[in-house]
Amino acid sequence: MNATGYAMRTDQLTVRYGSFTALSEVSVGLRAGAITGLIGPNGAGKTTLLNALSGFTDVHSGVVYLEEKDVTTLAAHRRARAGVIRGFQTVRLLERESVLDNVLLGAERLHQPSDCSQILGLPAHWKWRTVARSKAADVLELLGLSSDSHRSVDSLPFASRRLVEVARVLISAPPVVLLDEPAAGLDQRGRIELAGALVRVHEQTGLTMAVVEHDIDFVTRLCGSVIAMDSGSHVMTGTPQEVFSDARVQIAYFGRAANAHA
Amino acid sequence: MKSTNRKERWITVESSNPFGQLILGGLTSGLLYALLLLGFMVVFQVSKTVNFAFGQVGMVAAFSAWFFWSSLGLPLPVAIGIGAILAVVVNSAIGIIVITKIPAGRPGLDLVVTLGIFLFLTAVMQLLIDANAHAFPSLGGDKRTVLGGVVVNANDVAIMVLGVFVIGGVYVLFSRTTLGMELRASAENADIAASAGVNVRLLRLGTWTFAGLLAALVAVLVASRLSVDAFYMTPVLIKAFVAGMIGGMDRFFAPLVIAIGIGVYEALAIFIWGSSAGTPAVFLLIIIALAVMPKRFTAARHEVRA
Amino acid sequence: MTTQIRQLPATPSMMSPPPARWPHLSTVVIVGLIAAVPLVFFGDYWMFVAAKILAFGIAAMGLQILYGRAGLMSLAQGAFMGVGAYAGYLVAQSGLGPGIQLLAVIGAASLVALIVGLPTLRLSPLRLAIVTLAFGELFNWLLINSTEWTGGSQGAPVEPLIIFGFDTSYPLDAYLVALAFAVPLTLFALNLGQTHLGRRMMAIRDSEMAAVSVGVFIPKTKIIAFVLSAVFGGIGGWLYSATTGFIAPPDFDLFASVFLLAAVVIGGSRSVAGAWMGTAFIVLLPEGFNLIGQPNLYALAGGLLLATTALLLPDGFSGVFAHIKSLITRMRAQEDRA
Repeated sequence: MNATGYAMRTDQLTVRYGSFTALSEVSVGLRAGAITGLIGPNGAGKTTLLNALSGFTDVHSGVVYLEEKDVTTLAAHRRARAGVIRGFQTVRLLERESVLDNVLLGAERLHQPSDCSQILGLPAHWKWRTVARSKAADVLELLGLSSDSHRSVDSLPFASRRLVEVARVLISAPPVVLLDEPAAGLDQRGRIELAGALVRVHEQTGLTMAVVEHDIDFVTRLCGSVIAMDSGSHVMTGTPQEVFSDARVQIAYFGRAANAHA
Repeated sequence: MKSTNRKERWITVESSNPFGQLILGGLTSGLLYALLLLGFMVVFQVSKTVNFAFGQVGMVAAFSAWFFWSSLGLPLPVAIGIGAILAVVVNSAIGIIVITKIPAGRPGLDLVVTLGIFLFLTAVMQLLIDANAHAFPSLGGDKRTVLGGVVVNANDVAIMVLGVFVIGGVYVLFSRTTLGMELRASAENADIAASAGVNVRLLRLGTWTFAGLLAALVAVLVASRLSVDAFYMTPVLIKAFVAGMIGGMDRFFAPLVIAIGIGVYEALAIFIWGSSAGTPAVFLLIIIALAVMPKRFTAARHEVRA
Repeated sequence: MTTQIRQLPATPSMMSPPPARWPHLSTVVIVGLIAAVPLVFFGDYWMFVAAKILAFGIAAMGLQILYGRAGLMSLAQGAFMGVGAYAGYLVAQSGLGPGIQLLAVIGAASLVALIVGLPTLRLSPLRLAIVTLAFGELFNWLLINSTEWTGGSQGAPVEPLIIFGFDTSYPLDAYLVALAFAVPLTLFALNLGQTHLGRRMMAIRDSEMAAVSVGVFIPKTKIIAFVLSAVFGGIGGWLYSATTGFIAPPDFDLFASVFLLAAVVIGGSRSVAGAWMGTAFIVLLPEGFNLIGQPNLYALAGGLLLATTALLLPDGFSGVFAHIKSLITRMRAQEDRA
């Protein structure tokens, strides 16, 4: 924990793709130990913000802080090792490998035996394997995937594939988790279950989480605070109730529909 | 007429401008690489398949043309015409029977399957004709004139004219005509193109035919400058293939320019370091060029539309 | 704070052997069959062929790691066999024994892999394939043009290896020596599937972004895969040279590399067993035509057979095994339900 209370924050962050400004001087923070929602219409810059936080895009100007350390130029894999693990909007899995192998990929961050002792199959490697597998079993059980653990992920329904990615993110119990629309494509029951599982993980580990999501119900259920964005700019931050009732957010989100309500 | 004699001829014969001479030689070989690559790229556009046997399709044309001409005594144009028809038939057969059957999502499988075809075509020609190298008619190589101190023969002129017209023609066809649009559409998604009324099968057949003709044309020209046997097209194919991969098979001018560049550079290297230096100089340059190439030219665009 | 480490729950799903075990069993069977070949035919010639399969198979296993596991296509595995063969040859020329030769083979293969790989592994897989092709061509040119060291295009006779009294100029001994290397190397290749390093390689093959997102440093993993595959190739080449007693540049040219790739693809690029089955297929195909008294037919039918097999079995021989296995599992599951 640091003085600002933010596990991660940005300061005047600008991201450009050619002449297009995807993020314009955004200063937002993820409160340590809290679940923060990221909302906004398509093209608002939510995913770009996630990419900038996780090191997946180049930053034009501004600073990204992790625990008040400047990580703006830290490469994506180093940021992951420092504890920022993300999921993707389009699920990215090892398609023809088992659920277990996909989840175990996330164990990269756990301290591993040297590559040499892995290649030679020394005892350290087998010990590590047991530990990693038991962690995988834990997280699979938490997300209700235990019975599928040896199935190939390309044979799974879409909703389960999303959960596999969430499991891959969570297995190393990272201090900062960034999820990009984890509930997209899930039915109502699946959403409630996923929200429940994320809340449970959060309670157990106290990790900091940011979730990009469109579903208002899901965000309200899960998030303590919400950052609203529109057209690459930060609109406001507040509790879900405050944000969803704000006129600016309603216009950005619902366009004229909000006026009809008003 | 052995291949080495020919090479020496276009470098040393009474030319008073050795540098211009070597540029001409490099330019014409480079154009031949580019023309073969063009056929390779057209096939790739339609099938997304790397056809390792494509050079051998040309070999079939040139080798059989030689056979009909020298052993059966047919007039040269007739022999070459029959060779070209054979190339079209063989290429269409490969396209219809083999390439369209290669399942997607298995990288490397196309290489293995077409390697099998490569070996088959080589074996067939060795069996039907023989395994030796033979001199091919020089096709205008002896009709020379001197331009600015550079000895230019009819063969060189033919290659340059053909190169410009074929490459330009394909470019216009692809970018400016409805036929080109239909071709691109059916390459992108055959089902959608078909439902939009495009006769995908006919277009594909046209593509195989065109590519087969191109392979035959290049192979006959290469044979007329070197000699013909069952393997002689492999170095040409490798250089065309390399240029395509470096330039990107989904682009048009970049890979073709690289192919021509490889030809010129190869001639330059032979001129400077001697005739055995061509191969290593080319491949060393390829490694170095790719190693120092800035990232934005080498990697596909990094989109995290997550 | 982290989740506490619990013991594996004893749920049936976690207790049942993972499907990944299956290919291992088939590998044992395949290696056993190859090992049994000379015992069945029991002639010097078949012993010689079996030794060749073992040497090529080791190189193919290396390519399987690089191509099948890490998704990086190499058209230089034949050249790396050459690096091993000529490194061993040069060291043997100065009168040094098999132990030093092996070290030189491993060292040379690793060094060359680092020189070729370090600056180029960031390239896309297809462009990397071109770099390896170019390296292979350069290497072959070097072999032909440094006659005083390598014997040039005429090739050079290789002194047999003599290890613990086994002399590789005798086919049986060559076979046993190659087997002594093939068995532990196969175990290493199989073990890689159980390691996190192996999983990292698969992540590079399937989704570099997923790999980066969990903290994988991709260049390091690629280098390890490249060096490992080169070392397997080098050892394979060294054993090949000891078996045949003669090396020449054409043994290690582009076609040698392409045939190794064909072996890996035909066998099924996703399994170690596949590399062995593919190698056996490629090496035994011409022998088969010899056996039926039609050696000339091989040139003609060999290519067609290669193309047809690849078309009919797009996932390779090991894909067939995996398919049968999944069918059996499905049938069992249906029986359970009934």
